[in-house]
Amino acid sequence: MSYCVNCGVELDASLESCPLCHTPVINLSDLQKFKKTTPYPTQTGQVDKVRRTDMAIIASIVLFATSLSCLLLNLLVFSANMWSLFVIGVCIILYVLMLPVIVYTKFPIYISLLFDGIAVGFFLYLITFNTPDKEWFTRLALPIVVLVTILVEIFALLLRSFRISFVTTALYFFIEIALLCVGLELLILHYHGEQLHLVWSAIVLTVCVVICTMLITLLCMRRLREAVRRRLHF
Amino acid sequence: MKTSPQKEKSKIQIKDLFDRKVWYKLDLSAIVYPTLQRKDFSSVYRLSVLLKEPIKPDILQQAVNMALPRFPTYKTAIRKGLFWRYLEPNQRPGPFVQKDIRNFCMPMPFKANNRYLLRFYYYGCRISLEAHHSLGDGTGCMHVLNTITAVYLRLLGHEISDGYYVKDIEETPHPEELEDAYMRYANAKVSPKRPGEKTYRVRGTKEPFYTFNVINGILPVQDVLKAAASYHVSITEYLNAVLIYALMKKQESEWHFRLKPVKIAMPVNLRRFFPSKTLRNFITMVYPGIDPRLGEYTFEEIVTQVHHYMRYYINEKFLRGDITTNANTQRHPLIRIVPLFIKDFVVRQFYTKVQDRNSSAGLTNMGVLKVPDDMKPFIERFDIYMGQPFSSRTNCAIISYEDTMTINFASSIVESDVERYFFQKLVQDGIHVLIESNRTTS
Repeated sequence: MSYCVNCGVELDASLESCPLCHTPVINLSDLQKFKKTTPYPTQTGQVDKVRRTDMAIIASIVLFATSLSCLLLNLLVFSANMWSLFVIGVCIILYVLMLPVIVYTKFPIYISLLFDGIAVGFFLYLITFNTPDKEWFTRLALPIVVLVTILVEIFALLLRSFRISFVTTALYFFIEIALLCVGLELLILHYHGEQLHLVWSAIVLTVCVVICTMLITLLCMRRLREAVRRRLHF
Repeated sequence: MKTSPQKEKSKIQIKDLFDRKVWYKLDLSAIVYPTLQRKDFSSVYRLSVLLKEPIKPDILQQAVNMALPRFPTYKTAIRKGLFWRYLEPNQRPGPFVQKDIRNFCMPMPFKANNRYLLRFYYYGCRISLEAHHSLGDGTGCMHVLNTITAVYLRLLGHEISDGYYVKDIEETPHPEELEDAYMRYANAKVSPKRPGEKTYRVRGTKEPFYTFNVINGILPVQDVLKAAASYHVSITEYLNAVLIYALMKKQESEWHFRLKPVKIAMPVNLRRFFPSKTLRNFITMVYPGIDPRLGEYTFEEIVTQVHHYMRYYINEKFLRGDITTNANTQRHPLIRIVPLFIKDFVVRQFYTKVQDRNSSAGLTNMGVLKVPDDMKPFIERFDIYMGQPFSSRTNCAIISYEDTMTINFASSIVESDVERYFFQKLVQDGIHVLIESNRTTS
């Protein structure tokens, strides 16, 4: 029989410290007989997985049927241009977006995001069948999709690897916005065959640098961080 | 074995209750709980009985299979309609008894576990029953647990009679057991306003998904009775006052711009005031508390405040007004025709922004539990857990059996300051407290 010297409560024999104040239990006269059977099990349970097979089947059939019927309608009735490719592309994007939610839930998020990027790229590629040339796709659309996918992947990696707080999330967000704007402007200039230089993205970059400097200062100075947290808590 | 014609008739009628045409509307309280369902939260509570001998899982499974059909509203699955959810009889295999786990009261996805909203666990000498609140309240569920325990003991060869919370598994459920009793009594001529004051919220470090911290205090009822009598109040009033005192001390120890009122959300069993045999939800909330902005409260003042609040509000008239307010919302023709997903959104927002902020902690006292005399020698004690709190706070559930009172604190935060202040106050008042816990961090 052990009592917590701080709280005055009797402690169950299985407890090695008081769960109320964390004072360790040292019962010198009873060390040998220390009973280890706990009143609660040690095994941890997992939340049951919900089978979403029905939803997956219905969604797959709806998307597949939509694509197929539009394709047939396009080939047999309204055959002036390949408009059905737009619908098929959207169906593919929806299906890929749904994949991690209802079809296979064990995908790592990075693979899901990569698939999303590929699906968007493929949709843009399908559009080229309705445009006179494909240059816009290879020189502008594809690089933008690759850039956005890489940035989103990095964002997910940062959020999942490091300690997340409101301030760090904001920091990552503004760095990525700056990189995205710079990348977009350079890619657009490259597509038009102009000399590479920064104009509008320089303004975004400057604003982001100011915000990021402020956020880094906040992160580095604990006193300041606590003061801001106190004043902004909601 | 021959069965009597009466019992044969009863069996047929119980079978009829599982007919495909049978379904049950959710009761007034049960409507709210499924809307709060999140990936990491379900309104699940647990009732446990600690026997004197280790549990035999195969016999327990047999007892569950035999006893559960007696409770048709518990052997159900929840389904979505266009405007409301409803319960329909569940004929799938199960629910199956399983080994207990450390992080109990886990979220209960509606489509998992063969769509059952019940879970049975065993560990050592303990049988535990976890139920989703949309099926019924603690009193209703206690009938299920006690009946299953009685059947289990009978299967082991003991003579156990029916009575108190033990139902005859051969009899047909009384129609009152399946009713939504709120609707029968929600007939006041006026709908009083709901309380809507922001209260103190315990701020704590959230535990990782999914951790369930339990601190369980075991006390002699006589000690608590003596302490409550010294303040001239009932046990519930005394324990409410101690919890308010603990929350007050916690608030004072934290950084705060200004103090906020401390209130407890306490469910009241309406069966005490409105006769009903219902096994479904039949509770309403009262919010005893103090407002420290008015001045500093001594413990004696808190006890007096709680005592007068409870005596003033917990009576048939006020409670009737309260359930009428809730029922009128549900009966409103415009609300009834709004699609379910919009209702879900609005109710969730209301609960998060208003209802949940109305109280600093939850406390429920099931009172003294009685079992048939021939069952007493096999039972050590009962436990009740209010389940995972919706927000980062702590919930307290109390139950007494013979001379043993158990006070179970459940929380999903690292800090256990409220529990510490609570139990330290009880010790100061001369009550012997034995602590059990599943917390491992020190």
